[in-house]
Formats: sequence, C-alpha cells, structure tokens
Amino acid sequence: MDTMTLLGQGFAVALTPENLMLAVAGCILGTIIGALPGLGPSNGVAILIPLAFSLGLDATAALVLMTSVYYGAMYGGRISSIMLNIPGDEPALMTTLDGYPMAKQGRAADALVLSGVASFVGALLATLGFILMAPILAQIAYSFGPAEYFALYLLAFATLGGLAGNNQAKAIIAACIGLGISMIGLNSSGMARLTFNSLYLYDGVDFLVAIVGLFAVTEVFVFIESGGKHSAIGVKIDRITLPIRDIIGTFWTMMRSTVIGFIAGILPGAGASLGSFMAYSAEKAIAKDKSRFGKGDPRGVAAPEAGNNAAAGGALVPMLTLGVPGSGTTAVLLALLMTLNITPGPTLFTDRPDVVWGLIAALLISNFVLLVLNVPMVKLFVKILSVPAWVLLPGVTMISFVGIYSISGSWFDLLLMIGFGALGYFLRKLDVPTVPIILGILLGGHMEDRLRQAMTISGGDWTYLFSSPIAIGLWIAAVLGFVAPIFLRRYIKKPQAVPD
Amino acid sequence: MKLFNLKTLGASLVLSIGMAGSSFAAECIAPANPGGGWDFTCRTIGKIMYDIGAVDAPIQVTNMAGGGGGLAYGLVVNERNEDEELIVAASSATATRLAQNAYAGMTYDQVRFLGAIGIDAGIIAVAADSPYQTLNDLLDAVVADPGSVTFAGGSAPGGFDHLKVLMALKRVGFDDIRAVKYIGVDGGGDAVTQTIGGFTQAITGDISEVVGFIRSGDVRVLAVLTQDRLTGEFADIPTAVEQGIDVVAGNWRGLYVPKGISEEAYQGWSAALQAVADSPEWAEAMEANGLTEFNFVGDDFQNYVAGLMGEIADLSREIGVIQ
Amino acid sequence: MSDRLFGFITIGVALAYVASATQIPIGLFPDPVGPRWFPYIIGGVATLAGLVVVLRPDPEPDWPDAIAFVKIGLACVVLVAYALSLRPLGFLIPTALAAGVLSYQIEPRKLPALLTGIGLSVGLFLIFKYALGLGLVPVPKGWIG
Repeated sequence: MDTMTLLGQGFAVALTPENLMLAVAGCILGTIIGALPGLGPSNGVAILIPLAFSLGLDATAALVLMTSVYYGAMYGGRISSIMLNIPGDEPALMTTLDGYPMAKQGRAADALVLSGVASFVGALLATLGFILMAPILAQIAYSFGPAEYFALYLLAFATLGGLAGNNQAKAIIAACIGLGISMIGLNSSGMARLTFNSLYLYDGVDFLVAIVGLFAVTEVFVFIESGGKHSAIGVKIDRITLPIRDIIGTFWTMMRSTVIGFIAGILPGAGASLGSFMAYSAEKAIAKDKSRFGKGDPRGVAAPEAGNNAAAGGALVPMLTLGVPGSGTTAVLLALLMTLNITPGPTLFTDRPDVVWGLIAALLISNFVLLVLNVPMVKLFVKILSVPAWVLLPGVTMISFVGIYSISGSWFDLLLMIGFGALGYFLRKLDVPTVPIILGILLGGHMEDRLRQAMTISGGDWTYLFSSPIAIGLWIAAVLGFVAPIFLRRYIKKPQAVPD
Repeated sequence: MKLFNLKTLGASLVLSIGMAGSSFAAECIAPANPGGGWDFTCRTIGKIMYDIGAVDAPIQVTNMAGGGGGLAYGLVVNERNEDEELIVAASSATATRLAQNAYAGMTYDQVRFLGAIGIDAGIIAVAADSPYQTLNDLLDAVVADPGSVTFAGGSAPGGFDHLKVLMALKRVGFDDIRAVKYIGVDGGGDAVTQTIGGFTQAITGDISEVVGFIRSGDVRVLAVLTQDRLTGEFADIPTAVEQGIDVVAGNWRGLYVPKGISEEAYQGWSAALQAVADSPEWAEAMEANGLTEFNFVGDDFQNYVAGLMGEIADLSREIGVIQ
Repeated sequence: MSDRLFGFITIGVALAYVASATQIPIGLFPDPVGPRWFPYIIGGVATLAGLVVVLRPDPEPDWPDAIAFVKIGLACVVLVAYALSLRPLGFLIPTALAAGVLSYQIEPRKLPALLTGIGLSVGLFLIFKYALGLGLVPVPKGWIG
C-alpha cells in the first residue's frame, strides 16, 4: 500500500537516534509544561521554538521536537487537574471534575494511570484516523459555515445543564458570567466594547488568566480557610496497582470519546477543549447510573482525556491540509512550519511527503514514549501529594504567577487573576460550578461571531440558520440535549447532595 | 520533594541542550498571539538573524496581544523607551491603526521604525468553481446586487482587508459602502475555507494566506494588488491595475525599535535587519510564503511610514471609515 | 440567606451589564445582529437565573469564621502587592516574600516558611529564566548598573 510505504519512509526519518532522543526530551518537557498551571501548550510550544532554532535542528527534527512537546503537554495537563484540582491547561479542565475526587479518595494513582491510558488510546486512534483519512477529513471543514458552527456551540451550551451539579440555575449563572466576560474587548464590528477604555481589556480576557485564577488561586484560599481538610494534599495513597477493572470498564467510553474528540479536533472552530467537554457530557448523558459523576467516576476521567487527546490529533488535519489552525497550539505549530519554509495546505502532502510522514511517524513514536513514560512515572507524580502543603501551594501559586507574567508581562493580568481567585472562592462556597465560566469565556466570542457572520451572509434572514442538514441535525441535538434532562429528571430519583 | 526533583530533571535537560552560547538574548515582541503575521516576522527574522550570526543568541519572541498592537506600542513608548535589546514586529496594519488613531492617542514618531524587508501582496480571490473569472466580473456582480456577494477577510470591518474591497469598488463608482457584505473571520485560512465551502463568495487578504491553495488549484486569484505583476511562480496572476482598477495594497513586514536607544544601537539593528534582507535564507523564506521583495531599511523608512499613514488616513476619511 | 444575596447580586450585576450594553457603539458597518444583542441576551438570562436562585435558594453553606476571612483577605493583599511589585522590584525579592508569607499562612512556622520563600524564588527564577529562556528581571534595575 502506498500509505504504508510512505509511513515506512517516515519512520526511517523519525527513528534516527537523534530524532528519537528529541522525541523523548520533547515528551518530558511537554509533560512538565502541560502540568504547570499558567503555561498552556500553546505558550509552552511558543517558548520552546527558539530552543529548536538554537540547536540548529533541520525541519523534520524541529517538528519532531515540537510535536512531542505538543502531545506531551496534552498528556501533562491532566496531572495537576487530578492531583491539585488545577487544570494545567484548558483541555484538561474537564478532568478536574472526576479526577480530583478520585485523588481525594486516595485513588490518585488509579486516576493517573487510567487517564494516561485514555490519553494514549485517544491520541493513537486519532493519529491512525489522520493517516488513513486526512485528505477526506479535510473536506469536513468545508461543510461547516457560520450557521453550522453556531449550532455546534449552541449544542455545547445546551448540554451544560446535564453537566451541572445540583442547581441548574447556578450553572446557568456561571455560564452567563463566562459569556459576559467573553463579550469584553474587540468584537466583530471592529470596535471595542465593555472595556472601560482600558487597553488591557481591548483584546478581551485571556481564558488562561481565568483558569489559573478560578482554580489555582481559589485552591489556595480554600486551603487557607479549611486548613487543608478538603484537599487531596497529604491524603494517604492506596497501593499503586494497575486499575485493570477501570480500564476495561471504560473501554467503550474511550472509544466513543475518541470519535467525538476527533471530530471536534477536525473542525477548526471547535478544538480540544470542546472535544473534551462534549466527550464528557455525552458520556454522562448516555450513562444509566449518573450518580457517581462528579464524585470520582472513572468514566469521567477516561472520557475527557480520550476526547482531548483525540482532538489534538484531529486538529492536525486542518492544520496540515488546509493551513487553518484549530487551536492556539496548532496556530503556533503552523507558525513554526512557516518559519521553516514549509507551506501547509492542500499541496503539502505531495510537495513535502518527507515532512508529513516524518511528522506522523514522530507522533506515533511520541505517543508510545508518553505511555511508557507516564505509566511508570505515576509513582513519581503521586509523590507530589506528599510534598507538604506549605511548600506545594506557595509553589503552585508562584508558578502560576510567573507563567502568566512572563508571557504577557502584564501586571493587569495578575490582578485580574487574583480577582478571579476571590470570585472562585465565593462561588465555590455557594456551590456554583466554575467550569461553565471557562467554557463561556472560551466559546462565547466565537459563538456570537458565527451568528453575526451568518446573519450578515443571509442579510438578516433567520431561516439561514437552519438551511443545511448539518445545522438542522445539530439544532435537534441541542434541543434534545437541553430539554431531555429536564423531563428525565422527573423520573430519575434526584441524587442526594453529598457535602464535598 | 519529588516535584522539585522532577523539575530539576526537566530544567537540567533543557539547560544542558539549550544553554549553548546563551547570553542575555534580545527580545522581539510580536504584538499579537502566535500564528499571525507579526509572529511570523519576529520568528523568521529572529531566526535568520541568529543563523547568519547577526546576533549572538537566539532572539526570544514575546507574544503581547492587546489593542491590535496598541498594548505593545504603549509598553515600548512608556516603559521600555531606552531598551536596546528590543525589537518589535510592525506591518502596514501598524501604520493603518496609527493613521486611524487607534492607539489611544500615541503617534508614529514615538518609536523608530527600523525598516521593512518584504511585502505581502494584497489579493482578491474566489474559489476555483466560482463563476467570476476577472476582478471586473466580481465587482460588476456587487454593483448589480450587493447582496449576492459576501467577502471574507482576516481583519475586522474597517480594517485593511475590508479597505481593499471598498477601494476597488470605489474605483468602479460604487459608493454605498454599508451595502457591501463583508465578514471578518478568524484569519486568512478561515476566509479560504469559508469561501471554498461556498458560504462566502470571495476572499480579500494577502497572498501568503492562499499560497497553498493557489498551488493546489482550489483558489483562483482574480487580482493581485501590486503595481507590477509578481515575478516567478505567480507571474501569471493579473494585477488589479492592469484590469483598470487602480488599487495597490500590500502588507510590508518590518520592525520598529524604541525611540530612546543610542544611535549606535539603532545602527546595529539596522545592519542586522539589512543582513537578513540580503541573506539567501530570507530569499527562501519569501519565496515559500509568497512575499515580494521590498527592501527599505534605514532612516528614510520613518518618513515612508509617515507618508503611508497620510495616504491611509485620507483614504479612510474618503471611504468613511474614520470621520 | 447567602443564596438570596447571591441571587440579588447576580440580578443587580446583570441589569448593570445590560445597561452598559446599551452604550456599546454600533460601528460604521452595522450588521443585522450588531454588538448589543448578545450582551442583552446574556444579561437577560442571568437575571432570570438569579430570580430562580432568590426564590428557591439552596441550604446555607457553612461559612468560615471571621478569622479565616481575615486570613484570606491577607493572602489576597499579599498577592496583589506581589503583582504590583514585580516590575519595580524585580523577581527575586517579591517572590521570596510572597511565597514565604503564603507558606507561613498555611503552616505557621517561621524557618520552613523562610526557606520555602527563598527556595522557590531562586529555583523558579533559574527555571524560568535559563531553562525556558523567559525575560525575567532578577533585581531592581539600579542594582546591577
């Protein structure tokens, strides 16, 4: 088969000792960057690009290094999500929901192994999907116009209700806080709004600032208040074994989530965060027994991790075949490609097969490297929880501050982050979920832009929103996703509120 | 304390491979998020400066998005006016925003423009299966029924990509600028997918954004907005001028430095930028990304920017984008 | 009671948000939706959800005592001071102080807190400056000529 020959050549390129070493180094670095709050994968990759240059790497070697950093960061984000309830980056957000409760029950190691395996499955299948179908998949991006994207975002928010804890109204308020914040800054009429004439707000509020504030800073405040009673830090960890039951039990969860995540990744406007979110809420929607979700259900760990890693692989499809970045990180990788004089786009596969197939081989290799690194390294990771809180928490806080500050150089972002921390503390006391805030900030602006673009194209005709089969399908799913839980709840016993 | 062991491991790993000859590196601020034109400028020029030995250490790129470049501009003017280890990416968009007074009252003479070493030619393009064969076909269709054509571009309404369309329409006597349908999408790549997908009818942008799609035959460029035709690969694309539409618009790629640095430092950066312009590496980068030669480094460049701003301000006023 | 208060605050903020949204400039190129409708809808939905919370509040959360609030307030102040002092005072000293105070707040022992502060400050500086190559200033500019 042609693909196989090409892939074989790719492996021949990627498997030189030098490139292998780079892959291992990239995976380790990426894992660390992913785990550090405040340094997301996109900034992590951006920071390390000068390193690739200073080493004088050729195009393939540089790509091997940076993509393994990318994949490493996607793996690494979950580590701090699970152990500290602080997502290392935005796609790892959903993993806090069940990963952290597992850690509090002493099952941090299980959660880490399970999420590592789920990440591996998601990333591996996505890479395989990419190999087999990339040119066809690229066509999907052409069938999503503004109306279809709007319906997709609507679906994401409609399913939020199914995700929320005990009080729907509070989840809606949280989503509104996020959406309200996402309106700040330059909007698609080319003018700034709600910025109070501050240049700092002109480009809006960075979701990374919100994540670090709402999770890392809030965590410190909660710890100070309670003296660590409700934290996973210092929890005795069960003996580390391979959680075979969880892995087998979540096999189909991983498969479903991989498909959802992969599709979200292929769509340039969706990305990894939406992939992990949709994977989680879909899994919860179809589960018979939902009562354990949010309290440490293994499915709630496997689904978002398989979803976001599959999305990371899927995002390479539009990046390489169309030159359209599906996420912040792929935008940086795209910039790297252009700096290396490689023009992504429909002709890349025929113009530079060496690069494409070398890259794909590198992805497969870094995937295995990450699995091999991650599963045994769980022992090392869980030791983090035995670091005394008086070192760990100031450490995490300072890392968050430096991460945000050294990238933007803006003290305003730091103040905003502290503000988010205080807000997060009160919201957590009031049992208001904070995940919808982040989703609102991430998706709100896009959702509005797409609606306004659609209406501009149609000249104000609302029926345009329902003019394609894809759009109609997404609308139906959104309506069902929103309405169904409300009716179903009458028949299913309402789960008791368990004090956290 | 394993957390710190882990970090030390990572740190020493990078230290050992990354410290080769690293002194205090100079910084290039890209006033936007990674992936855009300014980011490209910083990364490519910075890389070549290091590769050809014009600087001692790899240049560190900082992405300071905010205010469409205004935040970085303000930082340079107010806080780092004497920083000699700082360069900032600039382009026609910088001049456009300064001309439209979008940087909170700051003016172009508060920094020193170093020069530009390449220009990204403006284009107006359609999908391969579009019925429009020439720029005039497209413009006639807009004149006949403004509702029938939606343009997609990477800048917000009133920005540079939008202006290109409005300028062209003005040349054929169409003045009703609010009737022209334009959507500002998420960068040039998005404009291309939306147009190939049939959701929008035409792309307005820079040639670097569509190079891959021209090569694959998915996109047909109706006009390149340069005075003369491009050379090399894209020589068969007609200019707007030769089709009777007198519109010239290109996005130069360049740098500015803080105003308060010593003349010596300024000349040093000037020489480094000129060295990049003369290097085969830059020629290769321009070729790959569809940039055209435009070599303008030195003291006169400041005046060129001033002149350009005057033109943009006049044009914006004429079209009605600013009062 | 807390939930009722939260509901009222939500309604107040949402209405203020809608009010300020009426002032958003439309721009020279109006589109059929415009820049105001989304903020209106968000404010409207938040108001309704706030009303629901006011009418059907959850059980009262267990608020900590006043001392805990003072401690959290203090932590807030320390972090704000840290954020503001990073540029004028450089990285090392503010980081050591802020990390030290936070550490002391979590575990009130002087020596470990001191060591934590100094260790984190120096360690993070080395990592971020030299390993990741980020532009951090160690000490105030005047100190190193």
